[in-house]
Amino acid sequence: MTIHILSSIIFGIIFGYFWPSEVLVQNINGLIDFGLCLLLFFVGVDIGRNKNIIDDIKSYGIRIFLVPIAIVLGTLFGSIMSSFFLKLSIFESAAVGAGLGWYSLSAIELSKHSAELGTIAFLANVSREVIALIMIPIIANRIGHMETIAAAAATSMDVSLPIITRSTKGSISIVAFFSGVILSILVPILVPLIISFN
Amino acid sequence: MRILLYIVIMAIGALVGYKELASQKIFNKMSTIQYACLLFLLFIMGVKIGINKDVLMSVHKLGFTAVIISVFSIVFSVLGVKFVSRFIKAKKKVV
Repeated sequence: MTIHILSSIIFGIIFGYFWPSEVLVQNINGLIDFGLCLLLFFVGVDIGRNKNIIDDIKSYGIRIFLVPIAIVLGTLFGSIMSSFFLKLSIFESAAVGAGLGWYSLSAIELSKHSAELGTIAFLANVSREVIALIMIPIIANRIGHMETIAAAAATSMDVSLPIITRSTKGSISIVAFFSGVILSILVPILVPLIISFN
Repeated sequence: MRILLYIVIMAIGALVGYKELASQKIFNKMSTIQYACLLFLLFIMGVKIGINKDVLMSVHKLGFTAVIISVFSIVFSVLGVKFVSRFIKAKKKVV
């Protein structure tokens, strides 16, 4: 599975770089939205067929919020740690990390600060998404199912969700969607807030 | 608004799955279609990155910084969830 994911993305990057056809460039966002909606429908079907999912969710209760909280704290801690190895200030690298994989939004927000930081935000959050997509099947096997949601962060409600559903069992996809929604609400708040401290 | 659209689409899917509105044969085929769609979506996302030449040109300069931040973020958020997942699972066993 990992090798399929990786080769699809790499093949796409090479294709886009060497043959950026006008038709494709103009319709690419619509195409992504259509594909995403189709996949989310299939995720819904998987959830619906799993009859004891409601009981699973009820048993989590309010503790379900621990997942997005742990992801935000872990991400902020990790990106602050990384600033010690880089030429960025603590707040700059924390703001980049706070994109939580939502690369379009974090890049736009941080390019207001500096063009360079905007590009770093784009690359860091694209690579978070790509690394997550590649690592999710491995994390599910080696570490645990709930942990796959952490790697995906904000993308666990859309792009990464089908892979999380395929790699894990039971109610994890609902927790993933829920966590992804919470994190996606937080990104537009956290990124401008953190960079304002800089 | 986008979140609402996603919820509606998944709810329709969940209804189809829950009420078993399709035969077992179609459900089995769905998994293959789903995987093909997924790989196609990833390909298109790759194309979107590839088209963006300005960003690709700065990869050699800023790529290292970006990857360090994303790897650290992933590692520590996985550790964070690993830590809290004990509490979430612990409750489940009691119930």
